[in-house]
Amino acid sequence: MRGLKYQLKNIRRDKMCILSFLLPIIVGLAVSSLSDASFTSISETSFGIIENNLSANDVEWLRSYGKILVFKDMNMLKTAVNNPATHLIGVLNDSNGIKTVLSGDELQLYAVIGNTLPQLYMKDKMVSNVKVTIYPTENNNDFLKSLLIVITMVTALFMGCTFNAMSIISEKEDGIALINKVLPMTKKSYLIQKITLGFVGGVLSTILTACVCIRLEIKAIFLFLILIVLSAFISAMAGLFIGRFSSGLMIGIVYIKIIMILFLAPPVLFYLAVSASSILHTLSYVFPSSITFYGFMDLLNGHIQNIGLYIIVLFAHCIVWFLMYLITGKHRENAY
Amino acid sequence: MRHGFLSLLRKDFKLMLSSKFLLLVFGSLILYSCYINFFYANLDQDIYPVYLYDPLGTESEVSSDVIQVSSISELQTVCADGYSVGIDVSGGEPEIVMITSKIESIDRYRAAYALMLLSSDDSSMAEIVGENNREMKNRREITCEFLFFELAAVGFLGLASTLFKEKQMGVIRVHGIIPISKTAFILSKLILFLLVDLLFACLITIINLGFFDGISVLPDVLLQSGILSMIMVLVGFFCAVRLPDFKQFSLLYLVLAIFISTPVFLAGQTGIDWVWINYHPMYHLFMGMKNAYFATPSVRIVYYIVSAVAIMLLFLIVYRALIREMAKEG
Repeated sequence: MRGLKYQLKNIRRDKMCILSFLLPIIVGLAVSSLSDASFTSISETSFGIIENNLSANDVEWLRSYGKILVFKDMNMLKTAVNNPATHLIGVLNDSNGIKTVLSGDELQLYAVIGNTLPQLYMKDKMVSNVKVTIYPTENNNDFLKSLLIVITMVTALFMGCTFNAMSIISEKEDGIALINKVLPMTKKSYLIQKITLGFVGGVLSTILTACVCIRLEIKAIFLFLILIVLSAFISAMAGLFIGRFSSGLMIGIVYIKIIMILFLAPPVLFYLAVSASSILHTLSYVFPSSITFYGFMDLLNGHIQNIGLYIIVLFAHCIVWFLMYLITGKHRENAY
Repeated sequence: MRHGFLSLLRKDFKLMLSSKFLLLVFGSLILYSCYINFFYANLDQDIYPVYLYDPLGTESEVSSDVIQVSSISELQTVCADGYSVGIDVSGGEPEIVMITSKIESIDRYRAAYALMLLSSDDSSMAEIVGENNREMKNRREITCEFLFFELAAVGFLGLASTLFKEKQMGVIRVHGIIPISKTAFILSKLILFLLVDLLFACLITIINLGFFDGISVLPDVLLQSGILSMIMVLVGFFCAVRLPDFKQFSLLYLVLAIFISTPVFLAGQTGIDWVWINYHPMYHLFMGMKNAYFATPSVRIVYYIVSAVAIMLLFLIVYRALIREMAKEG
């Protein structure tokens, strides 16, 4: 307990450490303050037209399928269509109705929209004769905004790992690790001290980030907290592993970088690119951050049916990581 | 004088080797290249899947892109993702069913597209005005992002790791009394890290864009890499001199890597309309790099003048910080 007090005292003087735990909260505030309109404008299909090229009726028709950007001449339209940051589809007047202009590097979605738009223009009247039933969605959050919020929270959890790793590595570099060997401190109390700091920091940072970004129901809050606690524990353990296996600061940075990529990239990629029912999605459970990510996204979208499974898998991860740390420690002379 | 400068360069190179910085750089190169070639290059977004429930076989000219389902519950299940579109013809007349995407214009297109697939496959081809295909666009886009991230974050970090080592060894104190100018002390590090960054830029571009496409954009990419590298190395130098230990520095690095770069990538890659991003200096550096990768003509004299002034200003700030640190070290 006294050791923990000294560690906390040490942190209190470390402004950069406090800042790193506060930063996800600041980013969370920034993300939640962004208007939904700016996120919607990315998702909406964009059409580029040339001034006075299409009739007013055609422009109105086009507006019903997406937002319209008006350009002065063909060159400006071509430049905008070729802009790799957007998926703008150029629409021009044609003897048979309209014709479209694409850059050729679009995603299949926009290529198909561009290729089918002239046919749609010819046949559009039939849509009004058909019954269209559109059901509302349970999820009221903007997809991109939710994604940013969850990435920020997973990053907040990752701070615990970084803090632990850097703390142990700098202790090694300064020779404090050697002093610890001769101090009357057991490996167990050292382990508890180190886990506690990264764990508590990660948990607090993530909870505060969640407080400023999202609103959940009472039941969801409880599940959310369980996910945070389990994930923060794994993150703190990852920090201990990095600290143990790093012989120097640069090697530590290499490991932190690899873990950071594994912590942040696979969840986003699997979530976006892989169907939830596929075997690859299940295989992604091997990355604990993926489970945390899916859990956060599900809770934000109001789905709680899979949360039980996520909690069980995360709990299993906690046990495996902890046991692995103890087992590998026995085989190392400098086990801390 | 020249001999002294060469000795400094040799010493910095040895420090760079011992700090495993090159290992980090080439490890990253392999990691990024594997990710680009095995995953990102093939990334795509499919058009809305259209499912048809037609137990009576009413629709006879259905497009091959339509997927038939055998029950109304199956139709509801597959359409629950808010992306797919269902056509229910069980009542004799087609009825479009779907969950909203929350954007009215997209829902309207989804309905019209699904209905269009019921009649024929006669889609036309749009006029193509670009030179890239999707795969090449993906390659240019992600290679640019990785290079920017690597130069912005790792160059900054690499210099700090060697400088902190030197601080610990008392090298800065020794430099206060040996007859080598402080400018040479800064320049030797700047040149060395610039060369490593340029080599990294060269390799990542050629490996991931292919030899001929890589070579064609390389001069511009190297120019932008040089500007970014010099700015980041000088910022790293300043932070390393001012901050007391590497732990604090590495946390600052994490902040920079994740939170400073993310809005820049979002604004630069998605076309999101944020006016404030124009005041973010990294955004202009990122756009300079992106324009170089996409060979977009963007001769902006002001950008180059501001960059040159920023580099000179940073150099002066670093110079003063070094003098202060040497005075502090006695």
